[in-house]
Amino acid sequence: MNKDELERLKGGDQGLFAELVRDHHRALVALVTPIVGASEAEEVVQNAWLKAYKAIAGFEERAQIRTWLGRIAINEAKMQLRQRKRELLFSDWGHQDQNSDPLASRFAEDGHWQDPPSDWHVDSPDSLLMGEQLANCLERLLTEMPDNQRSILEMRDTSGLPFEEICNELSISASNARVLLHRARTQLYKLVDHYQETGEC
Amino acid sequence: MLSCREVVIDTDQLLDGELNWRRRLSVKLHLLICHNCRRYVRQLKKLIVAIPYMHRRATDEEVSRVMTRIHSQGKPDS
Repeated sequence: MNKDELERLKGGDQGLFAELVRDHHRALVALVTPIVGASEAEEVVQNAWLKAYKAIAGFEERAQIRTWLGRIAINEAKMQLRQRKRELLFSDWGHQDQNSDPLASRFAEDGHWQDPPSDWHVDSPDSLLMGEQLANCLERLLTEMPDNQRSILEMRDTSGLPFEEICNELSISASNARVLLHRARTQLYKLVDHYQETGEC
Repeated sequence: MLSCREVVIDTDQLLDGELNWRRRLSVKLHLLICHNCRRYVRQLKKLIVAIPYMHRRATDEEVSRVMTRIHSQGKPDS
């Protein structure tokens, strides 16, 4: 979005706002799903869009719009939890068993690669995850991923929230958050690596 | 010397600039001699750049649901 479009967006242009919804809606639903559950995620994001529309004039251009929208959606999700008198409680925060590392089987006993990564052929970084078949596998992987891992992946890598803010939002230690982010990323890595090597997933 | 497995675990922090200098040096030394780990790090960087694009764009129906609600209830704050 260029500067002129951003100004029009901040002035309340509904056509441009609709484009914003088109670009970010699915990512916001994915962001709040691990927090409030799939059945309530859509409603939470609907409320977040309404808040975003009302507040868009105050959007500061030095921020990433995805990060700004992500914060609004997370606030809405937490408000929803409070209204339902539920707490954000992910199980398994503390599990740090090395054997559950998704890439564990790729290493020999001495810790060196036994089955190293294949060489990926990518034209542009944003096209890496875009193949139709890969997108379907990716969707399945994210659905099956434990909520705590998925939550951190969506907050950090999809929405660009700072690491410290994520730890505060989820009330977890930085070391736990690191382990969970590593697991989430390596699951994606493994999927893409297999797809790049075989054309299937 | 660090093992490849240790380097892979440290890569997330390396890319976020959060490794202390001693550990960063150990990882960099390992990367100098290990092309498999260099490839891992290079490709993880590409993956992280790609992740924000992994969600598909919303359908017309989804966009229209949001915009209908905004038409009926939304008024930008002045």
